[in-house]
Amino acid sequence: MGEPLKETRTRREGTHLLVRAGEYTCGLPLAAVRRVVRALTVHPLPGAAGELEGLAEFGGEPLPVLNLARLVNASPGANPSYPVTVVVRVGPADGREMLGLAADAALEVVHVPPDSIVAGEGGFLQGEAPLGGEVVRILNLEALGS
Amino acid sequence: MSVPHAPGFLLMRRAGGVWGIPNGAVEGLARDGAGYRVTAGGQALAADEILGVVADLRIYPVAPALRRFWSEEPAGVAVHAGVPLVVVDPRRLPAVLLCEIPRCEIPRCAAGEAGAGEDEP
Repeated sequence: MGEPLKETRTRREGTHLLVRAGEYTCGLPLAAVRRVVRALTVHPLPGAAGELEGLAEFGGEPLPVLNLARLVNASPGANPSYPVTVVVRVGPADGREMLGLAADAALEVVHVPPDSIVAGEGGFLQGEAPLGGEVVRILNLEALGS
Repeated sequence: MSVPHAPGFLLMRRAGGVWGIPNGAVEGLARDGAGYRVTAGGQALAADEILGVVADLRIYPVAPALRRFWSEEPAGVAVHAGVPLVVVDPRRLPAVLLCEIPRCEIPRCAAGEAGAGEDEP
């Protein structure tokens, strides 16, 4: 009984939403993703760092929106035809917060085996994993809110 | 971090964003060229547009992820009529609102003539 349950949990933890961010493909832990919506209208916050696009309204509440391509230092890609905002929960378990990630496109949901991830610099970038002939940047969203 | 307890907020637009100032902190409001000059917390602020006054706002604390990428220290954030806004703390006014900074586009403010609170005819 124990092994199948453990396997299921591991598989769930390894499930990621792939999104396009500039020249990169990034994997967001699916458990942290609350919603994917067409790019929200963002109101800028003057003086903010480039990673912070501004504030949007989502579900009647203010939502900070970060530019995912800037977060992962990706060069801008071509103009996206269907840009999205991925609404995620970030931060440690005892202080989760909602955040929007502006991305060029939502691609697909995939399983990324944990042992295929080559550890990255730590922090927001958990590591990189080969997937379908390209390298996917696996993100650690918990690091964003802390 | 707290919001001064006064009923209502003055909503204004500046530099593409919407800002809320607790009514109790507003000392003066005057036309200034194409924009407005608001005096609050003893300082002159520039506004591109005055949107009105709202009786109440549900104020959310500034999330850590927001603080990480924005050095200002507002009282919180809120939504009014579907538009997100920043509720300022009159003790820590965001630099972009202050008339003294060079990017202020209101001529009188840029010339350093922003006084406190007197109305124009």
